[in-house]
Amino acid sequence: MDLSVIGINHHTAPVEVRERFALAGEPGEQFLRAVHRESVFDEALVLDTCNRTEVYFVSRSDRDALEYILSHVARLKDAAPPTDTSVFYHHDGPAAARHLFRVAGALDSQIVGEHEVLGQVRAAYRQAVQARTAGFLMNKLLHAALRTGKRVRSETDLGRGSASVAQAAVDLAGQVFTDLADKTVLLIGAGQTAETAARRLIAPGVGRMIVANRTLERAERLAEALAAGQGDDIDEDQARCPAMPADPRDQADAPAPARQAIRARAIDLGGIGEAIVEADLVICSTGSPEPVLTMQSLAGPIRRRSGLLLIVDIAVPRDVEAELGDLPNVFLYNMNDLDRVVARNIERRREEIPRAEAIVDHEVEQFVTWYDSRQAAATIALLQRRFDMLRQAQITRYGGKFADGARDQLDPFTKGLCSKMLHGPIVFLKALAAEASTGDQLAAVDTIRRMFDLDELEEDDA
Amino acid sequence: MDTLLALAKWVLPLVYLALAIDYGATFILRVRTHARNPGVVVAIVLHAAVLIARGVRLGGAPVDTVAEVLSLVAVSSAVVYWAIESFTRDRRAGVFVFLLVFLCQYTASLLLAAGRGPGHAGPGWLHIVPACLAYTAMGFAALYAGLYLLGQRNLKQHRVGLLFDRLPALERLGAMCWGALLVGLVFMTVSIVTGAMMYSRGTAGGGIEAKVTAKIIIGSIAWLTCAAGVLGRRLAKWSLVRVAVVAVIGFVVVVAYLVTSIVMS
Repeated sequence: MDLSVIGINHHTAPVEVRERFALAGEPGEQFLRAVHRESVFDEALVLDTCNRTEVYFVSRSDRDALEYILSHVARLKDAAPPTDTSVFYHHDGPAAARHLFRVAGALDSQIVGEHEVLGQVRAAYRQAVQARTAGFLMNKLLHAALRTGKRVRSETDLGRGSASVAQAAVDLAGQVFTDLADKTVLLIGAGQTAETAARRLIAPGVGRMIVANRTLERAERLAEALAAGQGDDIDEDQARCPAMPADPRDQADAPAPARQAIRARAIDLGGIGEAIVEADLVICSTGSPEPVLTMQSLAGPIRRRSGLLLIVDIAVPRDVEAELGDLPNVFLYNMNDLDRVVARNIERRREEIPRAEAIVDHEVEQFVTWYDSRQAAATIALLQRRFDMLRQAQITRYGGKFADGARDQLDPFTKGLCSKMLHGPIVFLKALAAEASTGDQLAAVDTIRRMFDLDELEEDDA
Repeated sequence: MDTLLALAKWVLPLVYLALAIDYGATFILRVRTHARNPGVVVAIVLHAAVLIARGVRLGGAPVDTVAEVLSLVAVSSAVVYWAIESFTRDRRAGVFVFLLVFLCQYTASLLLAAGRGPGHAGPGWLHIVPACLAYTAMGFAALYAGLYLLGQRNLKQHRVGLLFDRLPALERLGAMCWGALLVGLVFMTVSIVTGAMMYSRGTAGGGIEAKVTAKIIIGSIAWLTCAAGVLGRRLAKWSLVRVAVVAVIGFVVVVAYLVTSIVMS
């Protein structure tokens, strides 16, 4: 198989090294255009995510692919090519296909089962199609990879369960409340962590939010931003890789929520007693060294409530006195509890790895079988068998109409006729195998196989 | 007709068992948790056809014997569950429902095979059918109440084991429990009123005082349970935990009394 992959990922190099070879966006498109223009590879695809940069290519050339890729990337980045190439991996043939299938199935991700990689593979395929570097083999490979990813996601629990604290809090809310749209969230603290959790809640459609903070002005700013659906300042990591969240485990969950406008208002910490009567879900994340929610101040207001109350305390040290969790209809979860939920989910994902690997094995086997069946030699043999079967059938049907002497000549006559008829196609197929690109050969063989129903013949043999 | 009815006696429990297995797969494997199950409609239609055929065979509504009542409870449970699933699009509690439905119908089939029924009730169906629906609703209320209490305990104690994220949301379970109690209250009220009217006209099969007394006691307990749960939540702002406990206790008492009455009859 003329398929190969060269890449670098989080297993082989830290981010400071990986980012020097990133081919995200425009550099990736330039790379593919150069490949197409210079006919370096017959087919090529660039997969660039926050955790990996990989080039999949089809080539019969003896050219040093790694040297070409690195020198081209160096030109794009206006830097010298690296001297240490040990951080790159190189797979050929079925191993390259297996690698891609594992990537698409999120088995090679930093957090196994993460949700974003399948979309990233799809985007890479689209980019290659637009750059006209995706040919017959790459099309087949990517369809198989996307199918593998979907199968892993639907047939296993590899991607199930939250793998980040923020998402675990949202999932907990889903365990308690049917629909968050008519619920009120009380957010205590206006820091980054609280805001991340708040934004995760916006995606499922929380209806109302009350933001409480020691500094009213900061609470008002956050409330206005949440109400207007505006973004906040993003940190350096996110500027470099927009898809990468502050906590890599967040990538393992649903994609970052679309920003929606909600009803939000601000209060200071003194108003918490009244707000908690109204709230259904409380998220605490202040930097206070002492508990902010205490039995003394809140037992009375909480007892006046009739509905369920979920309090998620993601502050360290804790913001909520543990005794509040003993009150009826109150569920209190802190960082330890959420970490246990996340650890359990990650463990359950790991338990699904063998099933996911079995799916990958099956898809690789299918792909290799397909590839081998599209080789010229196999197709020539089947073509000869098909013609021989037709020949025999005609002899059986019409042989009786010939006189004895003529009947004896039917076999050598028909053999010779078939041989002459097949001579052209066989020479054509052999020439393809010797001279044409892999993609052209596969495409032509595929056409001939469909024309003469050779797949059916092969299945009958099996 | 008799052959078909004899066959249906065993086909029906098998159909419900198949549904229970299907919903069991949903619960354990967490697949198709929010998709409707067309098999429920098939089971309901099949069961309704059998009941109609039995009624035609008997010349009246087949709702007089314990076997027939259990069969009616089974199909009405399936109907109520189908309505709930259509509304909530949540299949995760289905395994518990259809295990009970299977047990009801299997028991009914065993009793029919033992020669205890069928019989028909004449105008008694006006009392018996609402009563069946009321007890079915009570059964649902107790089931959802049990799941609510289980889920509530797990969440309170931070248990993230087998049931975590497999059950419907707590709020939904509580609402379903209360809704089922409301349905039970309505139907039990109708049943009590029609029963009282029949008794006063002497059409309840007079002379069977012990049986009527037992029914009055059971019906009263059921009605009080439903009323307490519905009104307690609405008027006295009872917590869902309290409503759930009342639903479970009331159902257990009713079943215990019913079983005792059957055994001693």
